[in-house]
Amino acid sequence: MSAATRRGTVPGAAIKWVVLAATALVMLIPMYILVISAFKPQAEIIQQPLLIDPSTFTLEYLKEALTSEKFNVVRAYGVTLSFVLMVNVFGIALAAPVAYVIARGRKKWHMCLLLLFVSGLFIPGQVTLIPVVFVLRLLGLINTVPGFILFETAATLPVTIFLFSAYLRTVPRDIDEAAALDGAGQIRAFWSCIFPIMKPVVATILVLNSISVWNDFVSPQIILGPSSGIYTVTTGVYAAVGQYSTDYTVVFPTLLLAILPAVIFFVIMQRHIIGGLVAGATKG
Amino acid sequence: MTATVTAPPQQPRAPHPPRVRAARRKPLRSRVPDLIMAGPAVLVFVLMFIIPMILAFVLSLTDWNGYSLNFDFIGLENYRFAFKNPRTVDAAIFTAIVALVGTTLCNVVGLAVAVLIAAPGRANTVLRTIFFYPYIISSLIIGFLWSAMLQPNGVANSLLAHVGVGPLPFLIDPTWAKGSVIATILWSSFGFNMILFIAGIKSVPNEYYEAATVDGASRWQQFRAITVPLIAPVLTVNLVLTLVGLLKVYDVVLALTDGGPAAGTQTIVYQILKDSFARSALGLGAAQSVVLLVVTAVAGLAVTFARRSAEQKVAA
Repeated sequence: MSAATRRGTVPGAAIKWVVLAATALVMLIPMYILVISAFKPQAEIIQQPLLIDPSTFTLEYLKEALTSEKFNVVRAYGVTLSFVLMVNVFGIALAAPVAYVIARGRKKWHMCLLLLFVSGLFIPGQVTLIPVVFVLRLLGLINTVPGFILFETAATLPVTIFLFSAYLRTVPRDIDEAAALDGAGQIRAFWSCIFPIMKPVVATILVLNSISVWNDFVSPQIILGPSSGIYTVTTGVYAAVGQYSTDYTVVFPTLLLAILPAVIFFVIMQRHIIGGLVAGATKG
Repeated sequence: MTATVTAPPQQPRAPHPPRVRAARRKPLRSRVPDLIMAGPAVLVFVLMFIIPMILAFVLSLTDWNGYSLNFDFIGLENYRFAFKNPRTVDAAIFTAIVALVGTTLCNVVGLAVAVLIAAPGRANTVLRTIFFYPYIISSLIIGFLWSAMLQPNGVANSLLAHVGVGPLPFLIDPTWAKGSVIATILWSSFGFNMILFIAGIKSVPNEYYEAATVDGASRWQQFRAITVPLIAPVLTVNLVLTLVGLLKVYDVVLALTDGGPAAGTQTIVYQILKDSFARSALGLGAAQSVVLLVVTAVAGLAVTFARRSAEQKVAA
């Protein structure tokens, strides 16, 4: 056994590690260039892409990007973060009770309810965007924050309800009954006894929804629109970088600032992000 | 004797408490709290998803410009125009190429890398992070990053010049630009497929590989005979998610090439949003959205069913 595998592995292992190392370089070099180029003048970025010369190292461009009048990146962090928080709070507050009703229900309409929401998984958001603009215009919510939050919250419902109800099916009914015996009404029993048990799946959903809202570009661009004057990180980057795409002293510092929060979030939450994605995809 | 007589009446009492509980559950399970708990979510979802879905069909039959609420019904004119319009046809072809080639590449590379680094270990964990990280960065920003690097005077050409290769027209030649779009998509998203494949591979019991090794099966034979069949459901999920995702690809194209050069990299969603908002022809945009919706649903279902029969064949 070992002879056969060893014969196969010695050159095999060498090739494997060369391939993996080369792929890793291809993955890392763009990020490395993005980071170092944020601290270099234009000529240096073009002529010496991989090197950082201490004599021309400068924080000037980063400072310019931070204080740019075209794109207030610090404000965009705050705006986007508050959108992420609002969508998470509203999305979970709406999805959790309905998922509970679906998970505990035994009638046909409970199944229909689940199918209604799950159908949303197969509808690309871009397809409904145009009529959503129509509906929001009718409601007078186009180019407003409430309109945007309403749409983003609705967009999170299919995945959230699907994962919540799948999780709730694994929660024993005894807990409902214990709460019922204590005299709590169904709604209070849910929020005080069942919802706290849902911590793991709520964490998964927080991660998934946070990434998708933070990175979303089309919905804020169309629903909020430049006329609202409210920029998220992505729409702000588009406004700031779109027109300067060959002035690298604007491009790289702006991009660095834009990805920084996502990268920090990734480093801290890596295990949850990967676990959440796997849970979201394989159960969905 | 009396003991045996008194015993039986006690037995039916054992299943009694559940019946009491069932009786108590009944008022709680009344419809009112159910409605209160389900109502708001249903309302929001119907307002922002179901009604818009229906409206997409209705608006696709109109000449709505997006601003006024006055518009006329023009029948199937938008569909006729879209199917005859070379811009839309080209966009549809490019989208199909991106979806098919991108789905294939992301899954082939994702699976290959997953097989190599699925085993536990520090080096493999680090490599997983390196391959996966672009996934959490907005694809708009990925597009801008690669755009900056692939410009005629950009970093990539500067590096190539160092090794004596002339400047390559990454973004200025239509064919090269198409390749650049697909390469950028591959770079930024095969890590997601890899993560799912690794989760699938990890769920395969190790004993299967041990038994196969004892039987003298090579690594390739083990891959074909054990790994591939046992991760069939993960492969299905990966194929469907990538395909459906790439059919609506937009952000990365907008940032990388802005649909150019010579409109060579415009995708269907690019076309939809351009017609809808830059050209104020939302009726036309809606018609194209409806077509995209149908294509996405058909493609997603087709892959799911094709894979399901493949999975069953493997299981049999």
